[in-house]
Amino acid sequence: MSDFNVLTRNVGKVNVIDVKGYLDAHTAPELENEFNKLIRGSKYNVVVNFNDLTYISSAGLGVFMAYVETMRENNGDIKFSNMKDDVFNIFDLLGFPVLYEFFKEEGEAIKKFNDLK
Amino acid sequence: MKIPFSNLKSERKLEYTILIAIALFVFKIIFPVSNTFILKTINEILVFAEFYFGFLYATDFIAPRKNSPLSIVLNSGILAAVIFFIVAVSSSLFDIEDVFSAVSNFITSILTTLLSFVFIGALIYIFSVFKELFFLQQKKDPQKYFNAMLIFMSAAFFASSIAKSNPEWNFANLTFYSVALVLISLNSLRVSWIAFLSKKQKLFLLIISIILSLLFGFNFGLTFDNSFINKVIINFSPGLHLCLNLVMIYGTIYFGVIFFTTLFHLPTAEAFDRKAAEASSLMDLSKLITQVFDFKELADTVTSVTTNVCNSDSAWLVTKSGSGTFELNSVKNIGFVDANTITECLLSEDSIDENQVTSITAEMIERKAKDQLIQSGLKAVVIAPLKAQGITNGFLFTGRKQNYNFDEDDLKSIEAFADYAAVAMENAKLLEQSIENERMESELNVAREIQKKLLPLSTPKFDNLEISALFIPALEVGGDYYDFFNLGSNKLGFVIADVSGKGIPAAFIMAEVKGVFESLARLISSPKELLIKANEILKQSLDSKDFVTAIYGIIDVEKGKLVFARAGHVPLLMCRDNHIQNLRPAGIGIALDDGRAFEPNLHEMEIELNNNDILTLFTDGITEAKNLSNEEFGSYRFEKIIKENCNSDLDKLSDKILSEITVFSKDKPQHDDITLILFKWNFNNKPAGVI
Repeated sequence: MSDFNVLTRNVGKVNVIDVKGYLDAHTAPELENEFNKLIRGSKYNVVVNFNDLTYISSAGLGVFMAYVETMRENNGDIKFSNMKDDVFNIFDLLGFPVLYEFFKEEGEAIKKFNDLK
Repeated sequence: MKIPFSNLKSERKLEYTILIAIALFVFKIIFPVSNTFILKTINEILVFAEFYFGFLYATDFIAPRKNSPLSIVLNSGILAAVIFFIVAVSSSLFDIEDVFSAVSNFITSILTTLLSFVFIGALIYIFSVFKELFFLQQKKDPQKYFNAMLIFMSAAFFASSIAKSNPEWNFANLTFYSVALVLISLNSLRVSWIAFLSKKQKLFLLIISIILSLLFGFNFGLTFDNSFINKVIINFSPGLHLCLNLVMIYGTIYFGVIFFTTLFHLPTAEAFDRKAAEASSLMDLSKLITQVFDFKELADTVTSVTTNVCNSDSAWLVTKSGSGTFELNSVKNIGFVDANTITECLLSEDSIDENQVTSITAEMIERKAKDQLIQSGLKAVVIAPLKAQGITNGFLFTGRKQNYNFDEDDLKSIEAFADYAAVAMENAKLLEQSIENERMESELNVAREIQKKLLPLSTPKFDNLEISALFIPALEVGGDYYDFFNLGSNKLGFVIADVSGKGIPAAFIMAEVKGVFESLARLISSPKELLIKANEILKQSLDSKDFVTAIYGIIDVEKGKLVFARAGHVPLLMCRDNHIQNLRPAGIGIALDDGRAFEPNLHEMEIELNNNDILTLFTDGITEAKNLSNEEFGSYRFEKIIKENCNSDLDKLSDKILSEITVFSKDKPQHDDITLILFKWNFNNKPAGVI
């Protein structure tokens, strides 16, 4: 069941992480790995594309919370995009929209980063 | 084919033997000299019967000792020596003439009878030993050859008695005697048991067999003497004399054959020893594999067996550890440091194939490893991989100081030992894993117990407010928490919370959450303020990736007023007039934020309860329960059940929800805790006149 996939792309100064499948306590370490790699490479501008994500558990949500501070301390951020309604509902219920920026399209999030620079 | 009476119990055989002996003795006292045909016949039959049952009993007596053939051979030799001694001493002490003058003497007759019994006993024992040796290590059943010999020996026995008084029957005597002799010679060739002796035992047997052959030969020769003892025996029974004669010649031939066979076996004795040692070592090892819990112990056995069987000077066993380095498990006759350096040097050699047994000599390898070998005095080394499921997990090394290389046989046995070690290693690993699993399982049980104890044992009771609570822990403990606080002045505080993550970490956080809510509930009377404070406390103590969702509320059980705030938790469902309302005041999860966003975004909600309103608080274990096709139970199904059953009492509603979830997710293990709290405002229940 743990078909989860994570892939990082470079779009200019912004790094886009595509998450795919089922993000829970068992698959969360793969995403953590990806964030660790970005931090090691001093890449703090991250957009997470949720287009292919079908499920996220509380442990999956925890991954973003664990890394967002590091990104923000280094003038970067984690932004979310392309989220389906049911996944967004989970984030919304928890109040994530107050703390994170959500975008309909990946491009908008990237633009937001680029506008800032 | 069994010989008659051989199926009797051995006590019975002994009884018969003794009875016949007594009869024979009495008979001899009464008739010291048998001179009529009847007496002679009775005499010979008694002697034969004595021999027969004595032999049957002695066979049973010796059979358990056949595993140490040398000791029974030695015993028979001692008896032969005793006979030799008696014959030699008596012939020099007594004069033949004396016997006949004293033949009527009562005392002499008792003495000669006893002497004959000694001979009978000795012959029975010796012959039984021959029989046991004859059947020893025979793969085919040679019973008929032995029985044929017995028949002819018996025939010769009676023929000799008859011939004694009727010399014209001498031809019969001679015929049976000769046939018995031929059969004895043939049967003497069955000596395959010698092959199974060790080299040392063979040497020992070689020496005693020549001595015994000579001793039996002398005894045989003496039976033809006109000595005192022969007269006594012939007088006692001519058959006994013939038996003495036959057994002695049997011994002479048999031990002669043994001598030469052993002589020819000696050169191969060592190889045979080795094979036997190898076989028994493998047997020991396979026993160890199933018993041993400690791999170190088995490694020690493997190295010591390897040195013993392969005639090598030292052996050691290394296993691969996780990081690719090697760990020395056991050393035999070599220092730890030496073994380590040789291992490292040899395994770094390119010429060594990790997947097969390799034999190397000092000349074949490179400088560095060569120096190491020479330094430790080893001239030849064999490296055998420990392979389990095609993967090499370690190596068995063995080395020789002599200048001859290991041969094909050595390599094969070393490989076998290495295989055993590999299997044992695999077993030990599996055992460790299953112990670890068990430990985890019991830890989870402890966590589950802790969690249960942190939850309220019962629900509080009020006149106007019906309450029902349900908690079902998942297989892997989760972090669900709920509680009720009696705040006095008709106020009931309640909380439902869900800690992110699962397992033991979540259970710990849950315990902490309980502590926070329990203390804050008594201090702060506003749900919003309380959650703000709880966020402040928990943000500091929780890991950045952990968070908690919660609803905290207070119900005034007199006035039917509910005040609550929601921190990221699933909404509170209110069923009023068959309609479900999702009560979802703004509020983010606890410990998501340090308070700067938490506080302004948290809203309190106030509800005036109507009669029959049902409030449902739950955790996402309900809505996220999955069926086999990974479909979620979802809020639609959940709300529908509540709507349809809002008029039944709360416990029934609770049961209905649980049974629907169970049916929905059957065959799929519950992956998260399920918590459900139901309140029903029942103003009608209130006894009249209280307001």
